[in-house]
Amino acid sequence: MKKSYKIYSAVILYLIVIMTSCTKTIDIEPTHTANGDASFTKISDYEAALTGAYSRLLSVNYYGSSNGSSAFSTLSDMMTDNLFESSESLGNYQNFSHWTYTADDTNIDATWLAAYRVIQQCNLTLRNIDKLSATDPGAVNRVKSQALALRAFVHFDVLRYWGESSSRNSALKGIPYVSAFDIEQKPSRLSVKESYDAIIKDLMNAKDLMQDMDKPIQSVTSTTSTARGYIDEIGTNAILARIYNYSGEADSAIKYSSLAIAARPLASRAAFPLIWQDASTAEVIWSVKFTPLNSGTGDNVYYPVGNRASYRPTTNLTSLYDQANDIRYSSYFQLRARGSGSRLVLVKYLAKQAALPKPDGITDFKALRTGEMYLIRAEAYAQKSMEVEALADLNTLRAARINGFVPGTETGAALITAIGNERRKELVCEGHRWFDLKRSNRIVNRTSNCNVFCSLDASAREWVWPLPQTEILANPNIEQTTGY
Amino acid sequence: MKNLTLAIIMICSVLCAGAQRTVTGTVTDGQDGSPLSGVSISINGSKSGTSTNASGKYSIEVTDNAILLFTRVGYTDISLNAGSATILDVTMQLIRKNLQEVVITGYNTQTRRQSTASISRISGDDIKSQPIGSFEQMLQGESPGILIQSQSGQPGSAATVTIRGKGSVLGSTDPLYILDGVQITASDFQSINPSDIETYNILKDATGTAQYGSRGANGVIVLTTKRGTNQKTRINYDFQYGIAELPTNKLQLMNSAEKIDYELNYDRPDGMNPFGWTNEEADSLSKVNANLKDALFRRSTTIQHQLSLAGGNDRTKFFASGSVFDQQGLVITTGLRRVTGRINLDHTLGNFKIGLNTYVGSSKFTNTNENDQFIGSPLNAIRWANPYVTPYLPDGSYNELDLLLQGQPNAVKELVENPGSNKQLKLVGGLSVEYKFPGIKGLSARTNIGIDYTENENQQYFDRTTYQGSQQTGGQGSFGQNTTKTNRQTITTSLNYTKQIRDSRFNVSLFNEVVKRKFSGFGYTGFGLVGPFKNGAGITPGTSSNGFIPVVTSTETENAILSYFAIGDYSYKNKYFLSGTVRRDGSSRLADDNKWTTFGAIGASWVMSSEKFLSNSKFVSDLKLKVSYGSSANQGVGDDYEAKEQFGPTSYNGIGGLILTNLKKGDLTWEVRRTFNAGVDFGLLKNKITGSVEFYNSNTVGLYLNRQISGTNGANTILTNLGKLQNRGIEVALNVIPVQTKNFTWSVGGNFTYNRNKILQLDGTNENVNGLSINRVGESANSVYVVRYAGVDPATGEALYYTKDGKGTTNQYDPNDKVIVGKYDPPYFGGFNTSVNLKGLEASFLFTYSFGNKIFNGDRVNVENPTYYVSNISRDLLNEWRNPGDITNIPSPFNDFQPNTTRFVEDGKYLRLRNVTLSYTVPAGMIGKYRVNSIRFFAQGQNLITWSSFKGYDPEIASGILQGAQYPALKTFTVGINLGL
Repeated sequence: MKKSYKIYSAVILYLIVIMTSCTKTIDIEPTHTANGDASFTKISDYEAALTGAYSRLLSVNYYGSSNGSSAFSTLSDMMTDNLFESSESLGNYQNFSHWTYTADDTNIDATWLAAYRVIQQCNLTLRNIDKLSATDPGAVNRVKSQALALRAFVHFDVLRYWGESSSRNSALKGIPYVSAFDIEQKPSRLSVKESYDAIIKDLMNAKDLMQDMDKPIQSVTSTTSTARGYIDEIGTNAILARIYNYSGEADSAIKYSSLAIAARPLASRAAFPLIWQDASTAEVIWSVKFTPLNSGTGDNVYYPVGNRASYRPTTNLTSLYDQANDIRYSSYFQLRARGSGSRLVLVKYLAKQAALPKPDGITDFKALRTGEMYLIRAEAYAQKSMEVEALADLNTLRAARINGFVPGTETGAALITAIGNERRKELVCEGHRWFDLKRSNRIVNRTSNCNVFCSLDASAREWVWPLPQTEILANPNIEQTTGY
Repeated sequence: MKNLTLAIIMICSVLCAGAQRTVTGTVTDGQDGSPLSGVSISINGSKSGTSTNASGKYSIEVTDNAILLFTRVGYTDISLNAGSATILDVTMQLIRKNLQEVVITGYNTQTRRQSTASISRISGDDIKSQPIGSFEQMLQGESPGILIQSQSGQPGSAATVTIRGKGSVLGSTDPLYILDGVQITASDFQSINPSDIETYNILKDATGTAQYGSRGANGVIVLTTKRGTNQKTRINYDFQYGIAELPTNKLQLMNSAEKIDYELNYDRPDGMNPFGWTNEEADSLSKVNANLKDALFRRSTTIQHQLSLAGGNDRTKFFASGSVFDQQGLVITTGLRRVTGRINLDHTLGNFKIGLNTYVGSSKFTNTNENDQFIGSPLNAIRWANPYVTPYLPDGSYNELDLLLQGQPNAVKELVENPGSNKQLKLVGGLSVEYKFPGIKGLSARTNIGIDYTENENQQYFDRTTYQGSQQTGGQGSFGQNTTKTNRQTITTSLNYTKQIRDSRFNVSLFNEVVKRKFSGFGYTGFGLVGPFKNGAGITPGTSSNGFIPVVTSTETENAILSYFAIGDYSYKNKYFLSGTVRRDGSSRLADDNKWTTFGAIGASWVMSSEKFLSNSKFVSDLKLKVSYGSSANQGVGDDYEAKEQFGPTSYNGIGGLILTNLKKGDLTWEVRRTFNAGVDFGLLKNKITGSVEFYNSNTVGLYLNRQISGTNGANTILTNLGKLQNRGIEVALNVIPVQTKNFTWSVGGNFTYNRNKILQLDGTNENVNGLSINRVGESANSVYVVRYAGVDPATGEALYYTKDGKGTTNQYDPNDKVIVGKYDPPYFGGFNTSVNLKGLEASFLFTYSFGNKIFNGDRVNVENPTYYVSNISRDLLNEWRNPGDITNIPSPFNDFQPNTTRFVEDGKYLRLRNVTLSYTVPAGMIGKYRVNSIRFFAQGQNLITWSSFKGYDPEIASGILQGAQYPALKTFTVGINLGL
């Protein structure tokens, strides 16, 4: 009896040992990723999230290029009369250069997602950041202002493709404005007007916060390779200038472009080619920093590693330049050998200076620079019929680029045309041409290097991109773009 | 009370020990009459025992009317009353998968009679000599319900194993593998020595899989390794040597003359003669036979050595083995070399029983890209390289002409100059301690601690002169090394109680188990390999200006499962059986308030042949009905922290940052598979005909699907438990021995499975299209979804397509005309075998088959697209439409090429002569004097013939979609010897 008792005790003890295995065994936290519920306690966590937001711009579907949509770097030129598809092309972007895209196009889907992914990361940066305001208000303002400005900037990029109009007070379909992170939300499209309202509100808010920061966002004087990598107040002004340029609010466009011009004067002709080799930050307001680990920004147009020029500049474009004297022509285009011959290719994104002997296509993407600001201001003055001021800005820019430039004397319609042509020459493959056409006469007319798909008329539905089919399926509150 | 019983038994055995005498005899094999060594003979109720020697003889001291028990692995136990005999010759019968067979679930061991589960058991020795590097491929065609598809013939590559249909759409469908109680990773079988495996037990229904709870839904393959015996040490040595060659290729491309003719004379949108050949060049190129195939493929060799020792005494038993396996791949530079060692020890000490398993395997695996459309993949060059471009120039250097002509790198150069390897070190070990509580009969406790450790080291060099080298960051080659370590511990502790009360027998076990897995990885890739070293020493240090910034990666993740479970069995009169399992699993991978899930199963069986009305039947020897129902889950989805909101590292402008990499999924749980199983096992005519028929119906609920969310959140899908999927099927296995005499045996066996897979519910929507496949409610998951090709309009040369309703045709390709034209996963599959044995001379044949599926042949898309005419293309394009009135199936090159049509969908059915073995076992009488126990010579052929209409090397395409670059299954011939000392 005593022995049995001992045995039973042993069994019970054994059972207790088994059954109380620590339930902590299954509480495991990640070490090489951060748990969102546990992190974000210090300002440095929010700074890291903001860095993440900037890094999202490097996506091949945003400013990157290789095998992605390159939506905001080169695609907008591929869709217009600036470039033509060559026989070297693998045909991956014909849907765009032929304007035959539909709602199930993978590149449209990818662009939509890439843009909202930057916005998501901005919203995560802003999530609960205010709880640190009491202890560290200056730092909070520094992080928060950039997140707001970047969020607004990207929404504006979305509006450029998907907005049914660019006029400031249009009631046509705009875009969903997402200002908080919540995966269950199913936002509807605001009107174009409401979209502008939301974008400008965020930018103004950002500007306010930038007045009261613990330290500057970046050095104003630095010229190192990391300089001008962030959106500071100059950048915010430049973004506002661009937005008012699109919305047709000339006074505001003049005001903000002037602020940007004052802060970042035009580059000299000597410095200009170096901008494209990332050896100079002259006139750069905001440049998105690429490294060899990212994809090249211009690969879909000219891929230097494989020497493939899928898209090449049209004669229609190149004939606009004073090829011998215009520093832009030699900075942007070069004859490069292929087989026994050679052809003119885009070299704007060839490589950073050190890699030029064996170009890898990796350069920073100059998202905002002073050249554009002059053209914005010139356009705004012209819009207000202040032709003298408009011509002055145009001539200043041309004189800075063209050796021995004799000041132009255009007036009236010729002045407007001249500003438009200058935009093509100045900003080729910087993500403007399609949108410039869209906000002006809505006509693409390929008068050179073209056999098929040579024109797109103003009534075409393709001027506004369709929403991705996945969005239509997932979001009952959203309405497809008119015509799709 | 118990102590009293024990005392009576003891007294009795002392009292009865008086009339001792010696019984001698010979034990022979019932099949061929050969003497059986190693049969253990014990006396019921006594500790004494012995075993037969090499010539099958034994001698044992017994008392009158003692009950002698003869046992040998693989043979039916025989129990004999010694009566007063002094000579007892016994004939033992090989177990023919009847009810005596032992089946193992990993947590318990039963005879097939006792088990209510659906378990297929395959003996390791039956299949071990197939010349394949990875053991799961050896199981092909051996058992119903288990589909094994080896897409790749690369030595050591893993096959896709599916048990009773794919129960998941997004999650893993790999079964769980348990080796001696330790969970092992499915992908590292290249380092496991198949010859060490004693049995493969494939758990298919809930009775078996519910025991594994949250890991069991895809079925479980329980492997046991060989163990020692209580006899004189036996040494076995196996050797085999073989050669492999390329199977027949059915995708015919153009030869030089045809290609030049096509380039020069077939009109195209961008004109003829793309490379501008002069007449002289064209003439001389037409005569070139580049024969890239001979430069890239080889006749490869396979060598295997295996040595094992088994022996011991009543207290300590051991098994030790060592092996070397060296298989060259068909493609130059590829291959697998493996060295393994194992020691298994069992020791009994009083009430303790201790078991120790240690295994070390080390392998080096060199592979090449396959199943892709990458221009740098050497196997694509077989299709794409121009037939008039020789791999080498006359001076012996690489010919790079094709790179200039069409951007196709020299495949031989890419392979030879860019060496890479995967080295793996695998340690599997376990210690088990079992304790029988004294005083309480039937009560025991057991603890098993096991480790599965894998270290992979992967190295890849890209030479700067190669195409792939020029694509590296900085364009000057690279060297990368990646090391990963996986350590999984399984600790199982149990308390087991067995009790017999008259006709009822109970067995209850309580378990606690912790399975913990830790994974860590570190890797780097350095660039600028411009110096003499082709390894890490050759990396140019990266600076901000030279572009050679190295990439360094590091990762570490961990997960754990904590479980409590109970397994109970009840039997009545050894005829009626009931079993049940309840298991509660907590997982670190689920959200905090959602961690615990409960699973269970219940099963019943009835051995009808033991009932009076059948027990004397001459026709029915065994008949058993069984039924079970239960649940288990699949956790093979996402990463270790899938339920948590995770931020991963990124960098911008030289500063480190965080980006959201995983959305929070607080409600995520495991997808649960509920399986009903009913079956009958039978043996007829003294088990000369045995077999089983089973029906199953399994429903996966909470099916993992990507729920679509608004892309304005920065993500457009989130993994959610949403859908419902059904797998329903029938499995039949039959083995017949038509002739069995002393000198001649002929056996035939076969199995057949039909599995119907059907989606019952999706994410609120009716269908979900993913490229070439679709998931639609009411149809098989992963159905083929393409536009139907209707041939070529003879008038215009345009391709015609059927419209969605199938009534009309159109020359406009429209994705909206896509329809389901079949399924990628074969619903019908199985194998059959036959063997003939005449006086030790044996011939056996194994065939495997599958049908009912389709294959999308992307390899053909790549060579039938006329816009790729700068590369080599299919010979069929010589028949392309050229003039009005031409009747052909190949459209004009002026017509837009469309790949996603039935033009490239082919029937996937095949029948394969998987294995042929001819062997001769030298009769015992002839070898006795050479101090050898057994000698067997054999020759075998693997994958000798495949009957299939698939246009390519091999129809076994696990995903159903061949992208390109196929590495076919090896066609191997080997000869070998098995020596027993």
